[in-house]
Amino acid sequence: MEKEKILENLAFAIVEGDEDKAVENAKAAMEAKLDPLETVENGLSKGMDDIGEKFGKGEVFLPELLMAANAFKSAMEILKPELEAQKMQTAQKGTILIGTVKGDVHNIGKDIVSTVLETKGFNVVDIGVDNDTLSIIQEAEKAQADVIALSCLMTTTMPAQKEFIEVLEEMNLREKYFVIVGGGPVTQEWADEIKADGYGESAVEAPVLVKELIRKK
Amino acid sequence: MPNLIDFMERATSGPIVVEDEFNLKRLIPNTRKIVKEYNITYSPENPVAADDSLADRLFEAAIEFIIRTGIYCDDTNRVIQIEKDEIIHALQNLPDGSYFGEGRDRNKFVSRRLDDERKPWCHVGTGIVASSEDIALAQVDGYGRVPQANSISIPAFNRIREMQVIGGSPLEIHAASRAVQAGRKALTNAGHPGLPIMNLISSATTSMGTIAGSHPAFGLRPSDGWLIDFLAEMKVNFETLNRLAFIQLTGGNIGSTALPILGGFAGGAAGTALVMTAYYLLGILLFQGTYHLTCPVHFRYGCTTTRDSIWVLSVVGRAASRNINYPDIALGYAAAGPQTRMYFYEAAAFILSSVVSGFGGVQTVHPAKAIIEDGVTPLEASFCAELAHRFAGKQADEANELVNMLLEKYEHRMEMPPSGKRFQECFNLKTEKPTEDYQKLYADVKDELISMGIT
Repeated sequence: MEKEKILENLAFAIVEGDEDKAVENAKAAMEAKLDPLETVENGLSKGMDDIGEKFGKGEVFLPELLMAANAFKSAMEILKPELEAQKMQTAQKGTILIGTVKGDVHNIGKDIVSTVLETKGFNVVDIGVDNDTLSIIQEAEKAQADVIALSCLMTTTMPAQKEFIEVLEEMNLREKYFVIVGGGPVTQEWADEIKADGYGESAVEAPVLVKELIRKK
Repeated sequence: MPNLIDFMERATSGPIVVEDEFNLKRLIPNTRKIVKEYNITYSPENPVAADDSLADRLFEAAIEFIIRTGIYCDDTNRVIQIEKDEIIHALQNLPDGSYFGEGRDRNKFVSRRLDDERKPWCHVGTGIVASSEDIALAQVDGYGRVPQANSISIPAFNRIREMQVIGGSPLEIHAASRAVQAGRKALTNAGHPGLPIMNLISSATTSMGTIAGSHPAFGLRPSDGWLIDFLAEMKVNFETLNRLAFIQLTGGNIGSTALPILGGFAGGAAGTALVMTAYYLLGILLFQGTYHLTCPVHFRYGCTTTRDSIWVLSVVGRAASRNINYPDIALGYAAAGPQTRMYFYEAAAFILSSVVSGFGGVQTVHPAKAIIEDGVTPLEASFCAELAHRFAGKQADEANELVNMLLEKYEHRMEMPPSGKRFQECFNLKTEKPTEDYQKLYADVKDELISMGIT
């Protein structure tokens, strides 16, 4: 099969969230001796860009994003050995550690932001829900995060976002990370009050916000 | 009918799966397949659904969806599985309504049929955070004086002596108790001490807060209503079930509550309608609720008044109204805030769609997505309640035309809706009346709506 056709099929499989087809085309790419980095960038990542764009326009929703991300991960497993053998690295846009704060188990908003960031090529470390401040800091250190994204859905868990920034300051780690906040009751006013570095009203805004912050680093 | 202990047995012995697998292998594929199998289709040009056959298919599809998917328990990582016979049996044994409130404020809340000329139940007020007890008292006093009010939602408190309330801490227990006491006091001041409070407990975010705030010393009665939420989507946890156990054991009215995210795990409008209908059935069976409070929340705009949200609301209301006797309240979130024209357009579209779609009740629409502290006044509540009564008996086809006219006025502003004013900026705290500016805007909007044939 021609190179262009394989890459096109790969991108299409990602957009369709078709895990089997994504794996099949990743294998075809390796059998055809395509450059693995080019396969990632012009096949897999192209598909992720396309699905991300459709999400931004409201043409697809979270299920399509999750299925695309799942297909992407499975196809990457096929390409990874060759990338490592050739000591190639995909372009790193930055690492974002994301989770909900202590006492908050609502994950859907966080999941949407996490997946949207992944589709835009960021390395996302999702630490799930109900994380206390010190655990988040430990995880951020371990992941060498550039940005820490904190979500909450309830007014009674919002103080944990404020506490997180205060503790970062107390531990002299505030300059090390950008902290962004979001979630149902969170507003720009609140983000300003607690001195967060950024706020996004919806998941669609997250990649632009994060990209802008990392650019400043 | 299985009880909570039976469901706990399933929650500790059902199929074990990690949450991601539940989402990716059960929830998402089942939603997609069943939407196709039952031909559930969204038609943007008809935001107020009027297709009975679609509504009935949706209802059948929801039963099938629950049987195939089950409901996930976050704390045990197991799926609570449900049989079709159990759902059918629960539906057949539903009472024809439930009583709420005390004395002359006591009323029976029943479900309504489509095009029903009976007035819908008016659930007045919101749980939006109030910055002080004075403001909360003034707001609830105003809600209590809305003539159509059948039940009340009271504000939440998020500060105690200027300390931010932390969930799970003693501050939460204090906030829960203070909010309840303020609500009851304000209703007494308004001359309606018997009106039921039906958003309990607004200031509690943990089961501990709910249980503590429910102590009779704070003024609550079993004839009030407690909201028990599903987690989005098709999930529960021990916090939810602990609340449920307590309210069931103390005999309070349980309001099963589901706010599926339009654009979330259920996908677009059709999938969201499917999941939203399923929650009615789970509310009856798993929660053994006496009423249901529901709406879709748009994943991007955080409101209930987008075209697709209104369609979801109307088709689900139609499906429930035609197939079950479970009193339901349509809960609404507008994108725009108080003292804006956009709020009134959104609220009118929402109330009209809900009433003609057979909802037993409507809650007065929350301004500005309910996220602005003090961002609500009794004037919005009064507007919604008045319209709810006027719209009783209207037909879906006519409503569809009017809602399309209203959508034209506001849907292009969804990206940047005006947040409006806070209570203290557009209401006089001393006289408890809207400011002159607000009264003028209100009169203008009402004239405009009359000229459109809406009121």
